[in-house]
Amino acid sequence: MTIRLDHINKSFGDVHVLHDVHLSFEEREFVTLVGPSGCGKTTLLRIFAGLETATSGAIFHNDRLVSNLAPGKRDIAMVFQNYALYPQMDVFHNIGYGLRVRGVPKESIKVQVHEVARVLGLEDLLQRKPKQLSGGQRQRVALGRAMVRKPWLFLMDEPLSNLDAKLRVTMRSELKRFHISLETTTVYVTHDQLEAMTMSDRIAVMERGVIQQFGTPQEIYNHPANLFVAGFIGSPPMNVVEKVHVQNGKLFERGSGASHVLPVSSLDSFGTNLADRDLILGIRPQDVRIDPGPAADSLTGTIELIQLVGSEKLLDIRLPGGILLAAEVRADLPVRPTQEVGIEFDASGAHLFDAKTQRNVRHE
Amino acid sequence: MNSQFGHAALKVIKPALAYAALLLISYIICFPLIWALSTSLKPSSELSAMPPRIIPQTMTLVNYKHLITGKQQYFGASQGYQPSSAPPQHFMSWFLNSCIVSGGSTLISIVVSTLAAYSVTRFRYPGRRLVPYFSLLGYMVPSIILVFPLFMVMTRLGLTDSLWSLVFGYVSITLPFCMWLLWAFFRGLPLELEEAALIDGASRLRVFFEIVIPSAMPGIIAAAIFSLIVSWNDFLFGRVFMNSIEQLPLTVGVMLFFEGVHVDWGLLMASAVLMTVPMAILFMLMQRHLVAGFGAGAVKG
Amino acid sequence: MQADWKVADNRLGILFILPFVLAALVFMVYPVLDAVRMAFFYIDPLNPTGDHFAGFDNFRFIFSDPLFWKSFKNAAVWTGTSIVLQTLIGVSLALLLHLQLRGISFFRGLLLFPYIVPTVVIALTWQWMLNPEVGIVNYALKRAGLISENIYWLSTPGMAMISTIMLNVWKYTPFVTICVLARLQTIPLELYDAAAVDGASLVRRFLDITLPQLAEVLVVVIVFRTIWTFNKFEEIYLLTRGGPGTSTFNLAIYSFEQSIANLKMGVGAATGVFMMCLLFAGSVIYIRLFRFDEESTP
Repeated sequence: MTIRLDHINKSFGDVHVLHDVHLSFEEREFVTLVGPSGCGKTTLLRIFAGLETATSGAIFHNDRLVSNLAPGKRDIAMVFQNYALYPQMDVFHNIGYGLRVRGVPKESIKVQVHEVARVLGLEDLLQRKPKQLSGGQRQRVALGRAMVRKPWLFLMDEPLSNLDAKLRVTMRSELKRFHISLETTTVYVTHDQLEAMTMSDRIAVMERGVIQQFGTPQEIYNHPANLFVAGFIGSPPMNVVEKVHVQNGKLFERGSGASHVLPVSSLDSFGTNLADRDLILGIRPQDVRIDPGPAADSLTGTIELIQLVGSEKLLDIRLPGGILLAAEVRADLPVRPTQEVGIEFDASGAHLFDAKTQRNVRHE
Repeated sequence: MNSQFGHAALKVIKPALAYAALLLISYIICFPLIWALSTSLKPSSELSAMPPRIIPQTMTLVNYKHLITGKQQYFGASQGYQPSSAPPQHFMSWFLNSCIVSGGSTLISIVVSTLAAYSVTRFRYPGRRLVPYFSLLGYMVPSIILVFPLFMVMTRLGLTDSLWSLVFGYVSITLPFCMWLLWAFFRGLPLELEEAALIDGASRLRVFFEIVIPSAMPGIIAAAIFSLIVSWNDFLFGRVFMNSIEQLPLTVGVMLFFEGVHVDWGLLMASAVLMTVPMAILFMLMQRHLVAGFGAGAVKG
Repeated sequence: MQADWKVADNRLGILFILPFVLAALVFMVYPVLDAVRMAFFYIDPLNPTGDHFAGFDNFRFIFSDPLFWKSFKNAAVWTGTSIVLQTLIGVSLALLLHLQLRGISFFRGLLLFPYIVPTVVIALTWQWMLNPEVGIVNYALKRAGLISENIYWLSTPGMAMISTIMLNVWKYTPFVTICVLARLQTIPLELYDAAAVDGASLVRRFLDITLPQLAEVLVVVIVFRTIWTFNKFEEIYLLTRGGPGTSTFNLAIYSFEQSIANLKMGVGAATGVFMMCLLFAGSVIYIRLFRFDEESTP
């Protein structure tokens, strides 16, 4: 039982917003569309909902063409970024609106609304109007309105971005738990890569209307398909070293004029056609190995800045040749500014990208 | 010390001066009506008394009684009126006429504008962008230009001297601004509410009546108030379209008081007061809405 | 390629705009077009089927009628004076009402009051107040020692003009005030604080901060009020009937009298066409100015 997007294109006048989006996923999956603003993720979600129509392409629910149905007929529910609660109705009627519209008898509505309110902790608020509620409460009402219809597909448009940081963390796990207990399929839109990583079964990373990569969080994190995905996912962001090339089995960078060897433990995992190509090296701060007491022949760099982030330290290290690297180390590692430390790149955490196509060399 | 005292004194004096200025200006603005009220409560003997007093020496409601009961015997030959056509006895009919005509044309303008504003802001079709600017243009056309063609139409349709002519005539002066105001207002209503309702399964029509109209109420009320005020206050259309004395709206009828040999100012001022009271009530009840409505894109006078 | 439900949806949208289109055609477009048509015909309002073509006769009539040009001149003078007064008083009032005093909203609310009062009421009340013998205005002026003889406010040509100007200013200055006040309230207070810290005096702050911000609004307001005031009918007619004689005629009154009193509706319509041309010219100026203003703001 699949949901399939078939070659979706969308233009607004001359502006081409979605390019040949092709996606398919299973029932009960939690799929996130993530990307920077303007990447098209919200437009894609709205096409899912039927609030926009694709310029070309189709949507299928289980091989049934859905894209020519009105939004109200697709058995979907949507949680909007600004909640879109009906201001003149109280919480009870907000939640029950979809049922009322479908002609569900009053007693049944009452039972179902109360059930949902109980699950969401809204029972005391049923008589209140939206303007009397806090942001978190409104969000739960929006959720309740969607949940009570027991839809086949849940759509969420950045539902957490209007909440304060602490509430956001709590709601992340709440949302995921609801998804599991309701046994529903969810398509979730966010610009926050952490939300995407923590909540999703699979993530579609989007940029400029194109899906850059679609995979599980681990796949996306450990095997980013291109430079954009590598840089977008993961915090702190991946280090990027340009003008890299392979010669005599070693990795060189020549961005600063002179050539320096980059201390990658092994080049075997990168495949064989690395020669004569301009490459870009990507390595996450977590995969940069720091040795406070460097061996004589290893590459060393100077620590310029140390930031303590709770259980880790973030180091800014200047390499000979001018490259600045970020490295994440244990907080108790004995380092100080201006110290010279040894550096090594863990091959399993290092990625090489073709400088022209920006694609991950291992994905070719 | 000295300067501190001066500073503190200034702090008290400045607002005091400001309040004084404000009170004076308010008095000047309201004085004509205060004086009208005062005059209306005076018996005719006191009208030309010198010095004129704001609070009447003897307060009397006799003028109001005359107007409201309209009994013919009050308007005898002593006042120079022909008993059968004494203008003031028709006051209550005029009042009713004005109510009917203002209400009717407001209803039409509001319904038409609300539907149109929703359509123009929610759907896409060629020419929709012209509508608001066209309305704005229409609003700027002075009624003296519209009145004669419309009069000829009413004549040909045989509607002159019937209240229908005013109901329709007033639409031409209230519709443009209502359209402009409601368009500006609907533009500001968030689409998400309607989208949520559509996803909930409501039909477009249902969304319009159950979701959009309640949200649009402030704008609709502002437009309705504007429309009521403009139609109630109009003189020109009433003067041109209507003939028989019973069919006149309040504004035109009251001007007839001048045609007697002797002008009864007390009576005249009483009718002025009664004519303003509905507007004042509307004004006070909906003051918030009026200012909000004007804020929604109106810079005209 | 549109889905069925989208097509039906769009149909509703078209349905909703139809009443307006109909009403606009009948009540807005048709009268204006017919007003232009009527300018080229001899029309007697008492004889609706007796129109016959007049060519440019009506226009020849008005352009050679000294009363027409007098009306035009009166309208210009009346408008100019009213606008100047409205602007000066209006801006001062706005500055006064901008103060953060307790209960200021009550006074601000009072502003729209003159606008909602029927012009008829105001005209009647002023006629009573301006009555030479028993009116309160003359009484108050004599008591204050400003005049020794009664002023005949409405039966002397010059005074009649002044009376109508006063009425116009009374009724419409609040509009100027509201627009200016709205603009004043959007000026961030920090600008004044920064200027005060920089050492600017009260007058300087007004000239350098307030006035430039007001300039935009004032231009718009003045242009609009000018267009409006030029064509006003009731404010003059109800007070003076255009009199004494024809000394307070403006173009709107001229048109009215020609149509209703002289039974020459074609002439009235021709005057209307002339007024529309002026209106059009004024709007073009407004648009030019508006666009110019938009370009000049950084």
